[in-house]
Amino acid sequence: MPEMSIVFNDINKSQGVFTRRAFLIGGLTALGLFALGTRLAHLQIVQGGKYSTLSARNQFNFRVIPPPRGDILDRHGRVIAGNRPSFRVMIETNEVKDINSTLDQVAYILPQTVAMRRRILRDINQNKRSVPTLIAGDLSWEDFSKVSLYAADIPGVVADMDQLRAYHHGGAFSHVVGYVSKINAADMKVEGEKPDADINLLHHPSFRIGKQGIEKSHDNILRGTAGGNKMEVDAGGKVVGEDGDGSIAAMPGADVTLTLDLDIQNRALEAFGTDSGSAVMMNIHTGEIICMVSAPSFDPNLFVSGIPTKAYRLLADYERKPLLDKSVGSTFAPGSTFKMATALAILDAGINPEEQVFCRGGYQVGNRFFRCHGVHGSVNMRNAHKFSCDTYFYSMCNRAGVDRIAKFAGKLGLGHTWDGFEIDGQKRGLIPTEQWKRDYFNGTKGRANDPKWHPGETASVAIGQGYVHVSPLQLAVYASRIANGMKAVEPHLVRQIGDKVIDHTKDFADLGIPKAHLDIVRGGMWAVSNEPGGTGRTNSQLDLGPNITISGKTGTAQVIDYAKAGTRKAADWMHKDHGLFVCFGPSDAPKYACAVVVEHGVAGGRFAAPKAREIMRLAMIKDPEIQKRIVGPVSTALDTAALARGEAAGASDMPNEGQPAETPPAD
Amino acid sequence: MVQSALSRPGQRERYDSKIGQIDWVFVTLLAMLAGIGALIQYSVGGMSWEPWAYSQLRNFALFLAMALVLAVVDLRFWLWLAYPSYAVSLILLILVELIGDTRMGAQRWLEFGPISFQPSEFMKLAIVLALARFYHERKPEDANWSFWLLVPALMIAVPSALVMHQPDLGTGMLILLTGGAVMVLAGLNWKAIAGAGLMGAISVPLAYFFVLHDYQRNRILTFLNPEGDPSGEGYHILQSKIAMGSGGLLGKGLGLGSQSQLNFLPEKHTDFIMAAVSEELGMVGGAMVLLLSGTIIIMALRMAALSHSHFGRLAASGAIATYACYVLINGAMVMGLFPVVGIPMPLVSYGGSVMLTVMAGFGLILGVKVHRYQELPKQSSMLANLME
Repeated sequence: MPEMSIVFNDINKSQGVFTRRAFLIGGLTALGLFALGTRLAHLQIVQGGKYSTLSARNQFNFRVIPPPRGDILDRHGRVIAGNRPSFRVMIETNEVKDINSTLDQVAYILPQTVAMRRRILRDINQNKRSVPTLIAGDLSWEDFSKVSLYAADIPGVVADMDQLRAYHHGGAFSHVVGYVSKINAADMKVEGEKPDADINLLHHPSFRIGKQGIEKSHDNILRGTAGGNKMEVDAGGKVVGEDGDGSIAAMPGADVTLTLDLDIQNRALEAFGTDSGSAVMMNIHTGEIICMVSAPSFDPNLFVSGIPTKAYRLLADYERKPLLDKSVGSTFAPGSTFKMATALAILDAGINPEEQVFCRGGYQVGNRFFRCHGVHGSVNMRNAHKFSCDTYFYSMCNRAGVDRIAKFAGKLGLGHTWDGFEIDGQKRGLIPTEQWKRDYFNGTKGRANDPKWHPGETASVAIGQGYVHVSPLQLAVYASRIANGMKAVEPHLVRQIGDKVIDHTKDFADLGIPKAHLDIVRGGMWAVSNEPGGTGRTNSQLDLGPNITISGKTGTAQVIDYAKAGTRKAADWMHKDHGLFVCFGPSDAPKYACAVVVEHGVAGGRFAAPKAREIMRLAMIKDPEIQKRIVGPVSTALDTAALARGEAAGASDMPNEGQPAETPPAD
Repeated sequence: MVQSALSRPGQRERYDSKIGQIDWVFVTLLAMLAGIGALIQYSVGGMSWEPWAYSQLRNFALFLAMALVLAVVDLRFWLWLAYPSYAVSLILLILVELIGDTRMGAQRWLEFGPISFQPSEFMKLAIVLALARFYHERKPEDANWSFWLLVPALMIAVPSALVMHQPDLGTGMLILLTGGAVMVLAGLNWKAIAGAGLMGAISVPLAYFFVLHDYQRNRILTFLNPEGDPSGEGYHILQSKIAMGSGGLLGKGLGLGSQSQLNFLPEKHTDFIMAAVSEELGMVGGAMVLLLSGTIIIMALRMAALSHSHFGRLAASGAIATYACYVLINGAMVMGLFPVVGIPMPLVSYGGSVMLTVMAGFGLILGVKVHRYQELPKQSSMLANLME
């Protein structure tokens, strides 16, 4: 090669190529950088909001603050279901590395948790990681102070105060108010699918869901809205700080005020003692239920933290069925308490109420002789009520017809359920009609093929036996509508939600029964409770002076056919007659109506009326307007002597004998 | 410039006039970039000089001094160094292949007593020098299309294949792209460029199925569908995008980036530092880094174009091509436009060896500008000339 040869042509040429290509490469690089800048703008400006949300979601965890559940109050604002403090210790699974060693440390402080280890580990596995798991609840003050002292040194262990549901009046409200309990898998599925479901709250160990009664039907109102403690966490989920400003306070649930009166409710349960049955008492103008008990009852507090299986079985297996709300969920043959409906149908058929029927101890309908419980001689409609004479109704009923009887029973609320009623579990019962019998006894599904209605069946229905089945709630509405006379009053349990008072009165339909007819029936009921010889007289005396009386009707419903089951006396509890009593008062200006059913309570006058008396008496004493009309010294205590007198001495009421009650078809 | 003074014989060889010729604006831009890097390292280090910010600034000061020294080194020295440095780098790469230390699943490191280093870093500069020298001594026609081109092709292919085999896909790709850029700048025929591009396009799917390791394949799959696995492989990309996106226009403020401060952002001080910059300083900060980088690249290309020697032009442009590849690949990777490969953002990311390489490259670029009037002989008697 030539030494130091410089070929200018070459140099110029390669320099030219280089310059052009350097421009190109520089341009491409600039383009690339511009593209990156555009991408940057797209990420940071256009999609900035989306990524800010994601970033915040990364950075913060919300520790759920469960909302305090709303109280349930009686009509005077006294707390029936409230919250009580409970000390507990929990484990924040998110913040714990080694669960077993953490539990070991807790067990060192609280030796009782050793035995719970399996349950705790199971709960931890089932729970979402974002919610804590309960290690132990309802700690004593000593245990709680010990745990609080050491919890700070065990990461992920939190000792705090929780609110637990407390039912201050035990069993008196168990069926109406219901109870709350821990959420189960089935509830979780239903609740979790709701559009506004707060999954973290549902999984929180403090959360309780309403399972029965008002607690269930008004769960959303009582529940409130969960808050959150905004916790700053790092990529490992470890809490690095708390953002006080970002925390959201929990919104407590609204209080629900019931129409029930605490005193009357307690009195009613007391009056029942160990008897089984139900009492419903209501305001005949507003439909507000003042008292509704089902006896025997149970302690709803047992369910809040989970009832032990053994205790549950005892309740579930007891023949008097404490868990069942008999007020709405049981139906009974109404017996003689049904006679007012029959009487109104007879009047509607144009029969003169003064027309006499001669009772010689029974009446022949078709080929069967229907017995009366006594021999009453000549009776008109009023006396047929007073003596509860079956013969009168046997002889008259077929002139009215079963369909007419059913129409009046229906108007008065029997065989009805109310959509607006605030708790679940209403049973419709049955008011038979000819059409019903055609549809039901059609020979299918193992039923008899007997579609024709027989006059004898009308005779059974007329005295509230046979196919007739009604619930205590329906009987209370029935008594209310008879007393009201104008409006088809409907029952309600809730008076107020939060600050909002609910007016139930506005939409009651007209009853459409002539006042003259109702006066005759009401007069019959007055005679039952107040005239000598009335079947309910002994046990209807309120002892509040002459101004304040009640008008009632006793009933005794036969459960089985004694021809098959031996004598009445020999029958065991399950087969004894039901005792019933319906009434309203004060007789001159009715305000309250009451229905009492004593299951297998032998006779209405003896067992049901004294209980109704206690309830009505207290209602009268507590009513400020009625109070003014009371004459003489008044004891407000439970009149145990009167209750005992009724049971021991008995009354003039004797059981009916009609067709035995049959198991009503499921409605 | 005082042209008359510089045109006096021997004047240009004086070190004081050489120092005057150093492009101090360029140096300032480099310092600004390193400053942003140190600022963010201070922030993600928990608003503390330890463990990263201090040593990053110390390294930068050290390497900047080195770059300034390199800037006044005669171009003939670089020319002389070209082939030996390439040969030594190649031998070291082969040594890595045979006896290298395996760290984090990849064989990249050589240890000599207390010093451990990655020979692939040396190769990035050596390949540029060697190619520049090769083209310097060839006729322009040979650079366009001739059998001579087999030489640069092999010079590029062998080291990049060795590095990719370590496996270090990112650096291997960087060597390949840098070498390719030098070939293009030297005047490679357009058809050949198109052909190489086509071959590359074909080889990507082939490489995917037959060459890549499982973890590399996963990275590509993750890149294509980052939401598919947000807690595993897609985590890096997603968290990086969250960090940048949540920064907005002005950022969350220094020390207030929740993604970087709370460790949601992986490799926040090294490969993903751009995400931390964009989160804490916002789009303003991110765009600032891109703008500084772009200015550095354009200025360097201009300095290269001013050189009177073909070697100077190609060496300087090759060095800046390496830097440009770093910036573009890292930027695209952090913004989710490119699979995750271990390529940092030079000067901004924490790490000594990459900074050493790029600062040596910047020293070379500055030197090419300082010596832009220097003519270089075509044959290899430079050492003799240098010794005179």
